[in-house]
Amino acid sequence: MLRSWLARRLLLGVAQTAAVVLLVFVLTEALPGDAAVALAGDQPDPARIAAIRTEMGLDRPAAERLADWVLGLLHGDLGTSLASGRPVAAYLADGFGPTLLLAAITVTLLVPAGVGLGVLAARREGSLADRLVSSTTLAVYAVPEFALGVLLITLFALRLGWLPPTAVGSGGDLLAQPAVLVLPVLVLLSRPVCSISRLVRAGMIDALRSPYARQAARYGLSAARVRYAHALPNALAPAAQQLARTVDWLLCGVIVVEALFVIPGLGTVLMNAVAERDVPVVQGLAVVFGLVAVVLNLGADLVARRLAPRAGVAA
Amino acid sequence: MRKSDGSVVRRPGLLRKPDGTMVRRPGLAGLLIAGVPLLLALLGPLLAGEPGPRTASFTLGGGHWLGTDFVGRDVGRQILLGGQSVVLVALAATALAYAVAVPLGLAAALTHRTWLEELLMRPLDVLLAVPSLLLILLVAAVFSPGAAGLALLVALVNIPDAARIVRAAASEAAARPAVEALRMQGETWWRTAVGYVGRSALRTFAADAGVRLTGVLYLVATAAFLGVGVEPDAADWAVMVDRNRTGLFVQPWAVVVPALLIVALSMGGNLVVDAVLGGQGRGAGAGVSDAPDATDAPDATDASEVPLKPAAPDLPAVTDATYTPEMADASNMAVAADVLDTKEGSR
Repeated sequence: MLRSWLARRLLLGVAQTAAVVLLVFVLTEALPGDAAVALAGDQPDPARIAAIRTEMGLDRPAAERLADWVLGLLHGDLGTSLASGRPVAAYLADGFGPTLLLAAITVTLLVPAGVGLGVLAARREGSLADRLVSSTTLAVYAVPEFALGVLLITLFALRLGWLPPTAVGSGGDLLAQPAVLVLPVLVLLSRPVCSISRLVRAGMIDALRSPYARQAARYGLSAARVRYAHALPNALAPAAQQLARTVDWLLCGVIVVEALFVIPGLGTVLMNAVAERDVPVVQGLAVVFGLVAVVLNLGADLVARRLAPRAGVAA
Repeated sequence: MRKSDGSVVRRPGLLRKPDGTMVRRPGLAGLLIAGVPLLLALLGPLLAGEPGPRTASFTLGGGHWLGTDFVGRDVGRQILLGGQSVVLVALAATALAYAVAVPLGLAAALTHRTWLEELLMRPLDVLLAVPSLLLILLVAAVFSPGAAGLALLVALVNIPDAARIVRAAASEAAARPAVEALRMQGETWWRTAVGYVGRSALRTFAADAGVRLTGVLYLVATAAFLGVGVEPDAADWAVMVDRNRTGLFVQPWAVVVPALLIVALSMGGNLVVDAVLGGQGRGAGAGVSDAPDATDAPDATDASEVPLKPAAPDLPAVTDATYTPEMADASNMAVAADVLDTKEGSR
């Protein structure tokens, strides 16, 4: 049962990987107005477009180009930029550090903050803490990062002057000035923390009402033991599943937050490439982002499965 | 709203406590919070009037009660004009997503052919892993989608998830004895699918549509902020936040006011949706993820009617953790076997 589930889930992961690669290729190459038209710029001169097409090999059949590109990917060759001629891998290396730092800090804080808030709210349903946490997380959950971020910049950087408004001037070395990171991480955390804490709260309340929790209490186990040793693991399963969904948000969030706070990470590289219509760079970054999403989704599913092998215990 | 409060997402077994007052208050607050930007978005263009002459950029005062923006236009007028696109694109995208997802999900839920269901639903599973904003940016790299293109893209991104929820809700209704009766009576597919199954699952669709709308609003605004699907100097709240950021130190109003309006719109919208779904009672509920919705969905339709075969009622719509194809297949095959049995019996 478990093994067949695992096999199916892994197979799905492989299919998703293939789909990401195919989708990236199809969307960027098969749409009307290919890279050559995009590159020719505001004065689309047919001769120039034809020249670019030949130079890029766009006049070859699509299947052939796809095969070439996939073969390159398998060898770790992501292609070369149209705008600068540098390999795409170099772009990746440029932006990798800041993004990884941002993501690592966010994920490290995300789980304790989300679970902590959820448990705090679920301890006494309807208490002041519960109402405060519940209404705040519900309200903040759907707010786009850029709007929240700009308001936080206005308040904390402009009005109060506590924190720097952007990462400009940090020279890419974010760790040297930790203050630069406070607002981006806060903004990046806003949505996932809300969703996870709400799921943990709901799961905890459900679990604490369940027959097994009552039975454990009847056996004389302490309230804390029932709460943390018995109810919490069951409450974490839906949250772990939500963690997979959060991956999507974090990837979106990273792009927005880097644009907003001028952090020279992968999101900025991607947005610059989109603006310059540098298709190979966009393709390479999209494949990397997509693969990260597929792998993290897989990981979150495995964790959720481990936490609740028999789903629906708490529900 | 009150009526649906009590009946939408409640299971008899899990009724909590008489927390009705708690449910309604955030809803009312949400209505008030979302009302201001919504009214501005819908009525603003009517009140905006003719454009005045352009003046220096990022000035305060001088006849402009909110100052001027990065090209010297009146910020107040831009704000009156700027809500419409966000709201309309979000509504269009949600409607479009459902226009595709409902037939797809219904067809998958009602078919007895496993291969057909797999064919319809598997590709969507695969698509679920692709980050939504990434897909939109990818298209934006090659050609510039207009507002209609953005709506289409956002709809496309939402189809996989919506179709899964439709299927999960519909397959519960499709497993009821009534459907078999309709089938044996020789009713058309249309009457069974739309007249019975679709109608039974309508509440779930509505609940999911509400949740989806807030997600779509987020995506539309974020895409506009990143410059996708909008002109660089468009009168759009998200574009205003982006373009006027350079003058934040001199003229904060051009950024803060549209940002506040977007925050109010998404915050209030979420509070309203949650209150309508009776979210507080379910805890995490509706506003947070689609997963609890989908699990609630079968119960939401009609608690009194016990389904003949629980057609994967605990099928979560979002993740694959507990969604095993065996579950769907098994339930479908069970239903199919039942139908065959009854057919043979009647002979």
